[in-house]
Amino acid sequence: MSNFGKLAAFTAALYVLQSSFFPLIAYHGISPNFMLLLTVSYAFLRGMEKGTLMGFVSGLLTDLATGTFFGIHAFTYLLVGNICGRFANRVYKEQFFLPVFASLGATTFNYFILALLMVLLGYRFNPISNVQVTLLPMLIYQLAFAYPVHYLTYQLDKKLSTKETN
Amino acid sequence: MSNRVRRDKEDGRKGWAMAFVVISLFCLIFFAARGRFQAPVSSQAVSLALSPFQQAVAWVANEIHYATSAVWEVATLYEQNKMLRNEVEQLRGINLQANEALAENERLRAMIGYEHSVRQFDMVAARVIGRESDTWSRMIVIDRGTASGVQEDMPVVTPQGLVGRVIEAGPNSSKVQLILDPRSSVGTIVQRAESRVTGIVQGDMDNPTMPQMVNIPKNADVVEGDVIVTSGFGGIFPKGIIVGLVSSLKNDDGGLLKIGVLESAVDFQKLEDVLVITASREAPPEPIKPPPQTPGTETDPAAQQKAEGNGQ
Repeated sequence: MSNFGKLAAFTAALYVLQSSFFPLIAYHGISPNFMLLLTVSYAFLRGMEKGTLMGFVSGLLTDLATGTFFGIHAFTYLLVGNICGRFANRVYKEQFFLPVFASLGATTFNYFILALLMVLLGYRFNPISNVQVTLLPMLIYQLAFAYPVHYLTYQLDKKLSTKETN
Repeated sequence: MSNRVRRDKEDGRKGWAMAFVVISLFCLIFFAARGRFQAPVSSQAVSLALSPFQQAVAWVANEIHYATSAVWEVATLYEQNKMLRNEVEQLRGINLQANEALAENERLRAMIGYEHSVRQFDMVAARVIGRESDTWSRMIVIDRGTASGVQEDMPVVTPQGLVGRVIEAGPNSSKVQLILDPRSSVGTIVQRAESRVTGIVQGDMDNPTMPQMVNIPKNADVVEGDVIVTSGFGGIFPKGIIVGLVSSLKNDDGGLLKIGVLESAVDFQKLEDVLVITASREAPPEPIKPPPQTPGTETDPAAQQKAEGNGQ
């Protein structure tokens, strides 16, 4: 299987787990967001361009597969991938601390961009109660799953890099 | 020097490309949200490719869920029934398998019972194979599509009440918008005979598990505990399906209307199996007839004709 195929299969597998397995542990309908974690990890490992592309592709997959507001995740994940990718040169790939904790910042950023888009689309909500009900549980889930997702992404990236070098 | 110039040019081009993509996506979101842009082919292709894997993973997840819930039940019984500890230990292995089969059996029996009790509907049973983890919209994916007769805008229910409607049907899977989604709106009515107040049930972003009944006049006869059912207005949802109970009432921001916070009839956290209403044989509304007249009154057409004849 080509590098692209492996990466696509990995992304699809994470999405299937996110949508079909992890709702088992959902709290008030909120479960871990692996697509966002994958975007953050890949951007830290591969830089701005590939991080942006991964954000766009994983976001588009989410939009197409779930039937949510079309384009909304492609937009926000693309921005997340782009911003995280800018820090790729300043982080050692073997260092897991920053990518794992950056996922919290990325989740918060993603949440507020989505909230802004919702307001622009005409939906009204109470920001304080919404943060309590949705953002806080999401952050806990993201922190719990950031390390395993980053570890898997790192291992896959290492294999793909070795193959590319050879 | 020339390398630096070339690199600057490339960076500039990439920056423009990025800005173009971001602006295009931004516009696309607003066009799509207003229904001016759709991607049905690519969306169905993605669903078609993912649904077999989602079905398999959802099956594994359900099995694990049954097993863990069975273990939990056994552990609780063990605490409560110390005298039966030995027997529980012996039966634990058998109980794990039995509970799993029993839970599935009960669920299916309830569904068959509901299907028999509502003969005016043709229904297709479906299993939930995917859920959205997003915090802004509420969607599920079910394992039935156009091949099973499922079409867009078909209502989705459980024996407990209304779940939502199909918004996109692929060949072997469909996407269902739950009544908790902020984009969803369901025409409803209070079931109590003295009230019969109508309103619209929408998802609430502040409280994703409890939808709201909006557009209730401030002096309307709606009280806590009222059962809310579908009104049948709008043509998508048949009349009389339970949506939920009024949990509390609050004033609208404008001050002229009330909002009823509903406790949904369906437990969306434990949604595993649903029924899609593929056809409804509800009787069409009767044609409007003039009210019965009391003979000899002014509005009685026969009496009027007689009076006119006498006048001439």
